[in-house]
Amino acid sequence: MASDIDHTIRRKTPPIALVSIAILAVGIVLFILNLRYGSVSIPWNEFWDALLHGDTSTYRAIILDYRLPQAITALLAGIGLSVSGLLMQTLFRNPLADPSLLGISSGASLGVAFVVLLGTATGLSVSTLSLWSTFGVTIAAFLGAFAVLLLILALSSRLRSMVSLVLVGIMIAYIAGSVTDILKFFSQKEGLHSFVIWGMGSFSNVSKAQLPFFAIAVLVGSIGSFLLFKTLNLLLLGERYAENLGVNIKRSSMLIILVSGFLTALITAFCGPIAFLGLAVPHIARFLFRSSDHKLLIPATAFLGMDLALFCNLIARLPSFEGNLPINSVTALIGAPIVLWVIFHRQRYTKTM
Amino acid sequence: MQEVLQTYHLLIGYKGQPLIPEVNVSLGEGDIVALAGPNGSGKTTLFKTLSASLKPISGEVTLFGKKLQDYSPTERSSLFSLVLTEKPDDLFLKVFDIVSSGRYPHLGLLARLSEQDEQIIYESLETVGISHLVNRSFVSLSDGEQQKVMIAKALVQDTPLIFMDEPAAFLDYPSKIELVNIMHKLSREKHKTILFSSHDLDLLLRHADRMWVMAPQQPLRQGTPKELVEQGIIDEYFKPIVAKEEFYWMTSEHPDLKTCFSGDWSGIDANSLRSNEYYGRSIESW
Repeated sequence: MASDIDHTIRRKTPPIALVSIAILAVGIVLFILNLRYGSVSIPWNEFWDALLHGDTSTYRAIILDYRLPQAITALLAGIGLSVSGLLMQTLFRNPLADPSLLGISSGASLGVAFVVLLGTATGLSVSTLSLWSTFGVTIAAFLGAFAVLLLILALSSRLRSMVSLVLVGIMIAYIAGSVTDILKFFSQKEGLHSFVIWGMGSFSNVSKAQLPFFAIAVLVGSIGSFLLFKTLNLLLLGERYAENLGVNIKRSSMLIILVSGFLTALITAFCGPIAFLGLAVPHIARFLFRSSDHKLLIPATAFLGMDLALFCNLIARLPSFEGNLPINSVTALIGAPIVLWVIFHRQRYTKTM
Repeated sequence: MQEVLQTYHLLIGYKGQPLIPEVNVSLGEGDIVALAGPNGSGKTTLFKTLSASLKPISGEVTLFGKKLQDYSPTERSSLFSLVLTEKPDDLFLKVFDIVSSGRYPHLGLLARLSEQDEQIIYESLETVGISHLVNRSFVSLSDGEQQKVMIAKALVQDTPLIFMDEPAAFLDYPSKIELVNIMHKLSREKHKTILFSSHDLDLLLRHADRMWVMAPQQPLRQGTPKELVEQGIIDEYFKPIVAKEEFYWMTSEHPDLKTCFSGDWSGIDANSLRSNEYYGRSIESW
């Protein structure tokens, strides 16, 4: 048994520079493909013409006004969710932790449900998705996510063990889910429809005007988490070792939860609840670089998250699908097998998950 | 000589319920003191209190004459280091990662290791004898090797005081001897003060310079192993437990062990004990 472990774990570390360049190259290719493919097919030569020479063709409008914001949203969401997942996994020393596990995504959903479903039930003039898709849903998701976040923050200072905090998160998710279901039961058809659409997830809800704000917020959150890398590395040793090495556990935990929760709330508000990206990507980064050093893992996770989100978006918009598949199904379809693989792979090294 | 650590009327426990009467003890430079007691006697609680993870109910702990809570977390990280029973379980943590993290309190924002830092890391690996493991993944190591990695981390932290909570738990006998050798080396060559806890009477009686003995609701008693045995304190504090637990014991007739009982344990080769016929005899036969 011992020799078997040695054999696989001691495999040589891959050249970091080479893997990084490959990840970036894949990202650039996927980004271009995201601009190129969609329900309207654009031939390659016209694509380059429209992109590089500033004419006023329809193609250019499609690419710049529709596909470009969507691709940028996808890559930002990929970065934010993946980094957020990495922070949670390290903080809770749990390979299956991610912000949706703490109930933050469910809180966002509940917020949206309140506005969309109750709004229609009380006879407010809501008939289409368009009105809600912009401002209302965003604010509601934000408020819901932050309500849960504040609850978790308040509880985290009272709960001694990280495991109980995760359990509390799961219970909060259940409660939020049930309330959402009850709201669904009493709601009207139109509201239910727009809620279901939001819940499927999409990278096309961020308008061109909102995009700069979204981008700055995601980048600030991600860079902020990079500044935490020392603390994160020490947390890997366990709370008491980290404390002994100068980490203020309570303050650091709060900071990590806040950064991670902020990223999740933001992205969930704009794109709907997107599962599995935050869970799967940090594992891909760890296995690719065979490292647990956050100085390397945080940028690696960010760029891999970008790649995977662009890939999922590309699949969701392949021409044969006539429009957009729900992004949530695509990420789950790709992310869930990765998580399964992680569980089975881990079991070879540790007795417990 | 200045005391490294001292307690004044220290009451330890949870929720205002003291576990044992007031503790008044001290540690000097280069001391190796064993904190002994059956499971549940409050060893870990005392450890947590002395290492600032837990607030005392009342009384004071001072480090180098200054109150423990008056130090900032960063200052504390350069005064004492920990070796605990909990182990990191991340699959990709390498020995080097863990040992070098002991250097973090000395590093800047980007945690770049200077040449001097690296030298300290490699020296520490050398001291505990695990230089050959530096690129191995931590989870692939044996319990004894993992323990040494954590000790190397504590050394890299470069603190005058080291707390070791149950360092001998899960180790086989030869590894325990090796551990004791390392501790004495640290005390002698690097003047480290070491407080370690154990419920392994055998290890304690033979290898501790001084012992603090604890039992539930009993006052903490201190002395050399010999004194404590002669005063009947070991009997009194451990007896109710010994009958229930399966303690393993080495007979005192063994020549190697006679020397180590007399205080000179340094020449003992751990491997010579591995196949020893005396090893594993139970306490009843003692």
